[in-house]
Amino acid sequence: MSDPQTTIASEPITINRAVLAHRIVQLGLLVGLVWKWSYFVASAKVYLSIPLLDEFFPTVLRSAPLLIATFLVTIASIVLNLVTASRSFQLTCAATTLIGSTILCIHQGSYNDMTFVTTWWTSLWSLWFIYHLDDPDQEKLLQRAAFLSRIIVSMILLGGGVGKWTSEYWSGDVFFDIYFRDRDFWVFNLLRDNFDVDELHEIAKWYSRKVIVIETVAGLGLWLLPARWAAIVGVLLLTSIALFSNFLLFSVLMSLIGLSIVGLFVKAPTR
Amino acid sequence: MNAAQQRRDYGFIAIVILVAITTVWLLLMPWVTAIASATLNRFHLRSSSFVTWAIQFPIPSMYNFANRFRVTDVPPGLIDPILENPLADDLANRYINHFPSRVFTFADLRHLYLKDGRDRWLTIQSSYRGQQVETRMHAKPDGEGGFVLLRIPDQSQ
Repeated sequence: MSDPQTTIASEPITINRAVLAHRIVQLGLLVGLVWKWSYFVASAKVYLSIPLLDEFFPTVLRSAPLLIATFLVTIASIVLNLVTASRSFQLTCAATTLIGSTILCIHQGSYNDMTFVTTWWTSLWSLWFIYHLDDPDQEKLLQRAAFLSRIIVSMILLGGGVGKWTSEYWSGDVFFDIYFRDRDFWVFNLLRDNFDVDELHEIAKWYSRKVIVIETVAGLGLWLLPARWAAIVGVLLLTSIALFSNFLLFSVLMSLIGLSIVGLFVKAPTR
Repeated sequence: MNAAQQRRDYGFIAIVILVAITTVWLLLMPWVTAIASATLNRFHLRSSSFVTWAIQFPIPSMYNFANRFRVTDVPPGLIDPILENPLADDLANRYINHFPSRVFTFADLRHLYLKDGRDRWLTIQSSYRGQQVETRMHAKPDGEGGFVLLRIPDQSQ
């Protein structure tokens, strides 16, 4: 008869890769939403103190209390999803996140913030994924999950690229005005310290063309890569967008970074 | 979940279809005027109805189009070009990343331009591959600390 302690000690620690992927995606969603927490708190005060009656929006979708409550409930649903092990509760949380982000995408006070669009796509993926978490073939589940994450990230990058296929972006004029002229960010401060206006215009042109090409190529091709390669490229690309243009963009990109990481949980093909 | 249900993963299929539809929409935008027009109108909150506008929300549009805005404290057209615009600060008539209507609706710029409770006029322009949309709005104080947002009809039509 073997010693029970020896038996326990010899058992390998197993990690449920699907559950870990789920939690990483939830973490990405959470970090994305709280990234601009102080900004959103200040925003709520503005909406409460300066209401704007625009009849284009239904009354309920102009309501500042609704916006605040939806934002908080969406965050709470993600936190609970992150910690609970109950499958039915995870599904409820995922559905709540999806509904909350839908409201945030069409509310007067938040429709323009792409944070909520990326949150919406990620929470849609999350709802599907949690529904399948108990599937017996976990490898197949992760492969399908990684495929969905790839096409979502590709499509979102393509959206950024196609919208810039216009002369004002190709010339660099838009990025020059938004970033190079006076944005207080390390890259642009460094460039302004070292180049004159004419040189900055030229740099802005090539910066802009680089963005257009990368977003377009990644949008059209990222989903075609093997899962793990797509994950690595996706994480590096999305991270670099924020690091080299605007740290606030992490609020938009963190959910997509979490989604991209799913591809790393797919086993590498054996030779 | 049984094997038959696993074979028919409707959720997976639905997400793939939704992504495919969105991708086709995006890829057609540079060449189909109606699609670009729908998105330009979406950016200006002037779609034919709120529902038409709202169903486009999943379509990603980060830093799309060349969007300019100008805020004044007198109605557009009344400014003598020789006189300096009283609001001519660094933000006047500049590019903005997307949804230029956010100058009045979103937090920081709503605070910047509307905090003093006075009338403000906003002119926004978005252009994409030769198409251009211009919208003028008037934020009119409601007497209670808030504003009513009015669209100024396009006089060129």
